[in-house]
Amino acid sequence: MSPYRHSSFWGFIVFNICVLVSGDGANLTASEVPPLSSVVVSSAVFKPGLGSVLSLNLLSSFPEDLEISDYCSELLHIFGQRYVAYVNCLVPAARPVKVCQNCFSSYGSLTEIFSNISSDQVGPGNVSCRDSLLRSDRLMLVYELYENLKVLWEKSDCHNCITKGFQNLTSDTLHFMTTLNQTLTCFEQYQQKNKTELCTNCKTDYKNLNVLYGGMEKNKTMCIDIEDAMNMTRRLWSKNFNCSFPREETVPVIAVSSFMLFLPIIFYLSSFLHSEQKKRKLIHPNRAKSYSSLMNIQDNRS
Amino acid sequence: MANITKKVSWSSRADESGATGEGTPLLNGSEQPRHSRQDSLRGRPKEIPHNEKLLSLKYESLDYDNIENQLFLEEERRMSHMGFRCLEISRWVVCGLIGFLTGLIACFIDIVVEELAGIKYQVVKENIEKFTEVGGLSISLILWAVFNSAFVMVGAIIVAYFEPIAAGSGIPQIKCYLNGVKIPRVVRLKTLVVKVGGVICSVVGGLAVGKEGPMIHSGAVVAAGVSQGRSTSLKRDFKIFEYFRRDTEKRDFVSAGAAAGVSAAFGAPVGGVLFSLEEGASFWNQMLTWRIFFASMISTFTLNFFLSIYHNKPGDLSNPGLINFGRFETESVAYNLYEIPLFIAMGAIGGLLGALFNVLNYWLTIFRIRYVHRPCLQVMEAMLVAAVTATVSFTMIYFSNDCQPLGPDHTEEYPLQLFCADGEYNSMATAFFNTPERSVRSLFHNQPGTYNPLTLGLFTLTYFFLACWTYGLAVSAGVFIPSLLIGAAWGRLFGILLASITTTGSTWAVPGKYALMGAAAQLGGIVRMTLSLTVIMVEATGNITYGLPIMLVLMTSKIVGDYFVEGLYDIHIKLQSVPFLHWEAPATSHWLTAREVMSSPVTCLNRIEKPAKLCGLILRSQLIVLLKHKVFVELARSRLTHRKLQLKDFRDAYPRFPPIQSIHVSQDERECMMDLMEFMNATPYTVPQETSLPRVFKLFRALGLRHLVVVDDENRVVGLVTRKDLARYHLGKHGLEELQLAQT
Repeated sequence: MSPYRHSSFWGFIVFNICVLVSGDGANLTASEVPPLSSVVVSSAVFKPGLGSVLSLNLLSSFPEDLEISDYCSELLHIFGQRYVAYVNCLVPAARPVKVCQNCFSSYGSLTEIFSNISSDQVGPGNVSCRDSLLRSDRLMLVYELYENLKVLWEKSDCHNCITKGFQNLTSDTLHFMTTLNQTLTCFEQYQQKNKTELCTNCKTDYKNLNVLYGGMEKNKTMCIDIEDAMNMTRRLWSKNFNCSFPREETVPVIAVSSFMLFLPIIFYLSSFLHSEQKKRKLIHPNRAKSYSSLMNIQDNRS
Repeated sequence: MANITKKVSWSSRADESGATGEGTPLLNGSEQPRHSRQDSLRGRPKEIPHNEKLLSLKYESLDYDNIENQLFLEEERRMSHMGFRCLEISRWVVCGLIGFLTGLIACFIDIVVEELAGIKYQVVKENIEKFTEVGGLSISLILWAVFNSAFVMVGAIIVAYFEPIAAGSGIPQIKCYLNGVKIPRVVRLKTLVVKVGGVICSVVGGLAVGKEGPMIHSGAVVAAGVSQGRSTSLKRDFKIFEYFRRDTEKRDFVSAGAAAGVSAAFGAPVGGVLFSLEEGASFWNQMLTWRIFFASMISTFTLNFFLSIYHNKPGDLSNPGLINFGRFETESVAYNLYEIPLFIAMGAIGGLLGALFNVLNYWLTIFRIRYVHRPCLQVMEAMLVAAVTATVSFTMIYFSNDCQPLGPDHTEEYPLQLFCADGEYNSMATAFFNTPERSVRSLFHNQPGTYNPLTLGLFTLTYFFLACWTYGLAVSAGVFIPSLLIGAAWGRLFGILLASITTTGSTWAVPGKYALMGAAAQLGGIVRMTLSLTVIMVEATGNITYGLPIMLVLMTSKIVGDYFVEGLYDIHIKLQSVPFLHWEAPATSHWLTAREVMSSPVTCLNRIEKPAKLCGLILRSQLIVLLKHKVFVELARSRLTHRKLQLKDFRDAYPRFPPIQSIHVSQDERECMMDLMEFMNATPYTVPQETSLPRVFKLFRALGLRHLVVVDDENRVVGLVTRKDLARYHLGKHGLEELQLAQT
């Protein structure tokens, strides 16, 4: 049984990498399929046979006690399935960014299984999978894979938009989404018509959205989804619809500033003309009686 | 004994000097009679407009030479071995205190500036946002200008009316002090208070100034105050550190204070020590250096510690200095051999621009001294500069089309949107609508592409003239940060242009690196400091790899700049008519001998023999103390219980000796005699008449003398050389020139 298990392990990894590389989001809902059949299917479809057979040959020579237990390999398998599910969810959500709102639940299940793997608890048969799966080789593949996704998750600040335990989106986020939708509907409504009309009519909606966003920015309760949505909306508003503030007060600004710039000129002129020039009283120090050599000094007395 | 018993001559001269006031020193005791004679001979003394070729009578030398009179010897004999140990320990304690207090002051300035500037920019920003929407931006402009003027007005009033010596950066004054010139009121508590208040006002008032230069002055004042163990302004005497109440000890502590100031300002302890070395190096020894380094370190540490508490990260000691250049990441800022010529070229540009800055500032300062000398005018001028600075900044921001997307980590403290698209900010505003330190940092570290070349060019140009106009106003403010800012702006521009011209440039021409080099070049071109500035820059960036390029840049900028004009601080020292002694006597002055240099005749306090053989030297301040305590021979005879005068009495009077006219001497006492035997310095330094000027100069400079007696073959006093006699020779464009003495 165990050599076969191993073949399944290696085959699975290869398969997994293939999925990552192809990244086409093939409809693999790898959730409740029993592990064995999955392996069979995978090796059947992807034909990584040669490599897998080779590795099988290599590994089959290890004695029993160095192999990973059934329990661990089960965990590993579930990890693989959830990993695939999460990646499959992420890729289509890349643009426009919806990685938090769409994929939080699959990330939740992934963390759950990983914490199972990495926990100290010993499973049935008195084995801890942490050592055997996570750090028995230089590559530390499982760990690295998980770590990559974790970095992505942290970079996207998704934890700000998701409630504890990956249950749901926070109420703030939902509220923002409704306001956003409102604004976008407004945009759609007036898009065909006059642009200036859009600017005036959607202003309140847009402004509300901005205020809401500003508040979230201050509280640091934003995730990448919200930031991206806001950025797109702002770009629509400012660039596409040209609703930014126009520069129309040039004349008063120039008037005021030239007045200000004029003041120092008056000040310096008046102080030059009216202020008494400061004079210094020269004092001729006493010296020993004059010498001819003193004549050599340039006499600059004006 | 007889020939040193002198009758104090009470001619009408004493009364006359009373009329002229304390500001008229009895120069070598020979000034007064000459003065009156001259008046009668030539009528009114000649008056000329102020220029750089004058020496003011206001300044005297400090007494760095120990007065080895009998009292001194007696005291030394009485002092035990333990006493000397205690002195050494208390020196260390004083240095520690200096560092601590200087760091505390730096911390105070930093926090207050940050808070006040935060409020100001927040209010103006909200106002601008409001008026961008509904119209009326000219009102925001006026609001900004009024804010600035109001702050600057407060700062200028306290400086112009209460303590004019606190104006400017204070570095020229400290340079003079360490050189041995006694600048009146420069190290008083009042000056410190005005300085700190003034610098806060001027930075918050948005002037093109920094708070780093004044830190050096503040450190020096702290040192001079702490080491004396008392405050004459507050009339409190703590009865400690009494031994340090003389110029020699005080100078050592002041140099420690200046170093602590530099180290607090830039987070550069070694730079601080080297600054003191560069500016006051003629009096130096190993133990002193070590103590100064201790003070510097303590000061950085203190600042660091308290700022970490302020920033809610108590115990995090990794953010030294008021200005923090931030860390340059090593990969992005590596430089290559082929960049060295580029850096040198930048140094040359910096030297040229620095020379231009100095020349413009020189003419402006002369104009100010001649015409803008009344305090009310000075306050008005400062307010106008503040208003114009706000106006120019606003106009630049208003007309700028350079919009950049907001970064994720918000390096911009107060991003202004104005007419930019939502989610973007006005790039010009990050440079102008910010305290200068923050602008410097964003120029160093912002991503390539944050500023477009036009923005940088305009910014450099306007800021150059604003900074040049601002320096020399009656506000306390430094020139370091504005210079760095100008340099960083054109340096960054240089980097961007390089990247666009060369094909591979975009990979190695990182704008931040060139901004740093530009900043170093500009600062070096303006202030012309060499060793200490290199170390300060290296320490402030925390990157030793930049040592070589920064040194080359500073070298080039100094060479190029010196070809045209002196450094800014030297110009200001000259314009203040300070008798400053440079390192060496002017070249081609060997033919001048002590006979020509000296002042003569000397007022000899001697009744019996005239001209006297030299017996000793006594200072005016000592005579005043003697008169005050009425140490007359007759009195001593009649009253046997009379307490003997001790060195302590002289120390108590130090440093503010009462003016001669405040001492009452009755008619009877005028006939009395005084025995100066105990009080005079019996072995003053002397030179024969034929000594050449460079020799005299060397002796004077190296020993820190105040008087040098010129004697003839028979040891009779023929003249007296003082600082002003030596400082008046300098090498001008047409050979050796002589400066004139003037009353200022």
